[in-house]
Amino acid sequence: MALGIVMAGTFGAAAQAKTLTISWWGYNGDKLNANIIEPFKKICGCDIVFETGNNADRLNKLKLRDGKGVDVIYLTDSFSQIGIAEGLFQKVDPAKLPNLADLYDIAKNPQGGYGPAYTIGRVGIVYDSAKVNPPITSWNDLWRADLKGAVTLPGITTTAGPMVVLQAGKNAKVDAFSDADKAFESIGKLKANVAKNYNTGSEMVNLVSTGEAKVAVTQDFTLASLKAAVPTMTWAQLSDGDIATLNTVNIPKGSENVELAYQFINFILSKEIQQIEAEQGVDAPVSTKVQLTPEQAKIWTYGADMISKLNRLDYVKLNQAKTDWIDRWNEIFSK
Amino acid sequence: MVKRLSPWLLAGPATLLVLIFLIFPVGSTLFATLTDAKGWLAPYMAFFNSSLRRTVLMRTIEISLITTVISVVLGFIAAYVVAHMPGRLKSIMIIAAVFPLLTGVVVRSFAWLILLGKNGILNSALLSLGLIAEPFSMLYTKGAVIAAMVYLFVPLMILTLAGVLEGIPRDVVEAASSLGAKPFAVFRQVILPLAMPGLIIGAVLVFTGSFTSYATPQLLGGERQMMMGTFLYQRAMVTFDWTGASTVAAIMVVVTIAIVVLMTRLARRMNPMAA
Amino acid sequence: MQTKLHPALIAIASLIFLILIAPLFIILGAAVSDTPFLTFPPQGFTLKWFSNIFQIEAFRTTAITSLQIAFLGTFLALLIGIPAAYALNRFKIRLPSWLSNVFVLPILVPEIVLGFSLMKNITIGLQLPVYTTLLLGHTLLVLPYAVRVVGASLASFDFSIEEAAISLGCPPLKTFLTVVLPNISAGVVAAFILAFITSINDVSISLFLTGPGVSTLPIQILAHMEQFFDPTIASVSVLLMLLTVGVMAIVEATLGLTFLTK
Repeated sequence: MALGIVMAGTFGAAAQAKTLTISWWGYNGDKLNANIIEPFKKICGCDIVFETGNNADRLNKLKLRDGKGVDVIYLTDSFSQIGIAEGLFQKVDPAKLPNLADLYDIAKNPQGGYGPAYTIGRVGIVYDSAKVNPPITSWNDLWRADLKGAVTLPGITTTAGPMVVLQAGKNAKVDAFSDADKAFESIGKLKANVAKNYNTGSEMVNLVSTGEAKVAVTQDFTLASLKAAVPTMTWAQLSDGDIATLNTVNIPKGSENVELAYQFINFILSKEIQQIEAEQGVDAPVSTKVQLTPEQAKIWTYGADMISKLNRLDYVKLNQAKTDWIDRWNEIFSK
Repeated sequence: MVKRLSPWLLAGPATLLVLIFLIFPVGSTLFATLTDAKGWLAPYMAFFNSSLRRTVLMRTIEISLITTVISVVLGFIAAYVVAHMPGRLKSIMIIAAVFPLLTGVVVRSFAWLILLGKNGILNSALLSLGLIAEPFSMLYTKGAVIAAMVYLFVPLMILTLAGVLEGIPRDVVEAASSLGAKPFAVFRQVILPLAMPGLIIGAVLVFTGSFTSYATPQLLGGERQMMMGTFLYQRAMVTFDWTGASTVAAIMVVVTIAIVVLMTRLARRMNPMAA
Repeated sequence: MQTKLHPALIAIASLIFLILIAPLFIILGAAVSDTPFLTFPPQGFTLKWFSNIFQIEAFRTTAITSLQIAFLGTFLALLIGIPAAYALNRFKIRLPSWLSNVFVLPILVPEIVLGFSLMKNITIGLQLPVYTTLLLGHTLLVLPYAVRVVGASLASFDFSIEEAAISLGCPPLKTFLTVVLPNISAGVVAAFILAFITSINDVSISLFLTGPGVSTLPIQILAHMEQFFDPTIASVSVLLMLLTVGVMAIVEATLGLTFLTK
């Protein structure tokens, strides 16, 4: 009987003519609502529902449903590449996205004909300038003897994890894809400097704020929180450069509202939306039309200059190597 | 006729739920691990041929057993005291026991960071007492994982046992005492056998809970103390290898059942009086 | 009527409870700290992290879903679990011995595998609505508590009392409600509490069984944590604890938490 009442509630919502289903992380929901969802609803006259969760969960669910159930899926590029390999997305028709023309090249077509990126970030090293001397200026500094037990690395299963392996390869002067043995030998040497590896940003911020770690390999969006906890945390200026991370939007192959999905993606790539999102501290812009004051730009990976200096990863190779890398990584850290 | 069927009528709905919503779906998932192209045992051979995976399995068994023993002992003592408290106080204690279960695992691990970390409360105390010269981190060790698990499972034990100990008729205990039995003998020969069903159920809940746990070892042990649950998550959610994950799951289920059967037998042997 | 307790026992138990409670003060401190990160002891005092929860709509909607699912799921599990526990204890001889072990299975199977299998074979296979599968998944998840914990209380129940009542002409259902149930109320309450908390904290099952438009609080918390590291989550924990006190008060008023201390 109680069941009946609940059921009535769920079926009671009359099905609208058009409903756009968006799969995304679920944080910043209120700003997303004000800046994007409400204005878009007015334009399209449709209803919008969300599926929320982290990258892996939502991608796994999409795979289980064989690419059905959602019309637009937000993912970080390392995960959208898995989705592409699994054949879960449609190719994107650039003609249907006029706003693509305004984007930085790196964001237009990052993964061979699939979804564009709507924001950009970077992975680098953050360190406590009060305790780490001399300052960190290269990825190789992670191996320095004075950093014993002071480093926190991203776990191998996170977005930034495999990047550490690639840098370890460079440290051993090899390409980690072709000579994993040497790269992981380097990781083995790095182990003495690791306090603990983290799997979520909040774990890392906790490790730094409680003094367990003084150096972290991390994405740029965590910097503000790190500075709040330890004001002397500093983004390292690396001679060998930071690594780019992109957030992409894709249309799954089982989407039932393809036109609406294109309309939505084009909308979030527009100059107006990109500008608002950047000004409110939600996402860094990828539209070349967006103008930010130095103050607004401070927290972002912003401008042609900075973006051109970033290293891009070969995710196709990475995903092929990942299973083997996870095993080797565990071999070192879980014994 | 109705009398003959009544047990099945009563147990039927719950049995059906387990059958349709667990045995069928999980069964088909586990069955899928046996249809490997390389032969039906290939995924299992691969698992046991890796020293890393064997280490993870042994570590998981060890941590779960230690956690179970400690939780049962502490939970029993606390539940025994709870059962003997007057009403008001008893409610407060039960509520207190429930709280730890409500703190999200992330916040809980933060609390442990504060207690056990380098700048943590325990280190500050030891430093100021002059017992240690250098602060050291107690986190990410087997001990930290066990402490955090015990913290989680003692409340479960208290709640399971409080009801059982409550049900032990007072007059039985008093009769034994008045006949001259020493407190310990009363405990061994009267209370323990009567509490045994609850004790076994509690121990099984704790063991399986720690054996399949994911978040606590992940946050407090990190990679260094990797357990089966963490390993399974990696397989499933990161490498999208659901066959591999199901293989790990099957091994976990078999090991858990084996250990639970052993524990139950052992408990019964120690207590021939318990049915 | 109480038996004497050894002072040492009371001391140990007090210590156990002290340790159980200690981290909660850390969490409470972190939740009111006027810093954008978790810290203890708190620096300054603010309630903004609490108001933050109410400003984020997703917390409200998912909390409502979580509460609905936890109450309904626990209720359904007790509704079918208590009769099963009763049958298993009362008709031991007439039911197969393996049956009682069937009800431990939801705990034996790692949750993530259960969630995955349910989604693969039930949600997609049977095309059930998201909410229904989520509810039934949670019912299944908490069923072991209903059957086993209530069963443990029934194990020490003397069924001859019930027989006496029935032979005096009291109908079976009424006998159960007036004679058996009061005697096992402690077990029922314990099962209810454990089940409710298990359901409201569940991540693995919900991970797979939530879908477009339906999500639960722990999933929302995880989503929030991926991006923000502020004390909002500590405040959510504090609110959950207050909620428990509320639930306990309701239980106390209806079933009696003090188990009718005779």
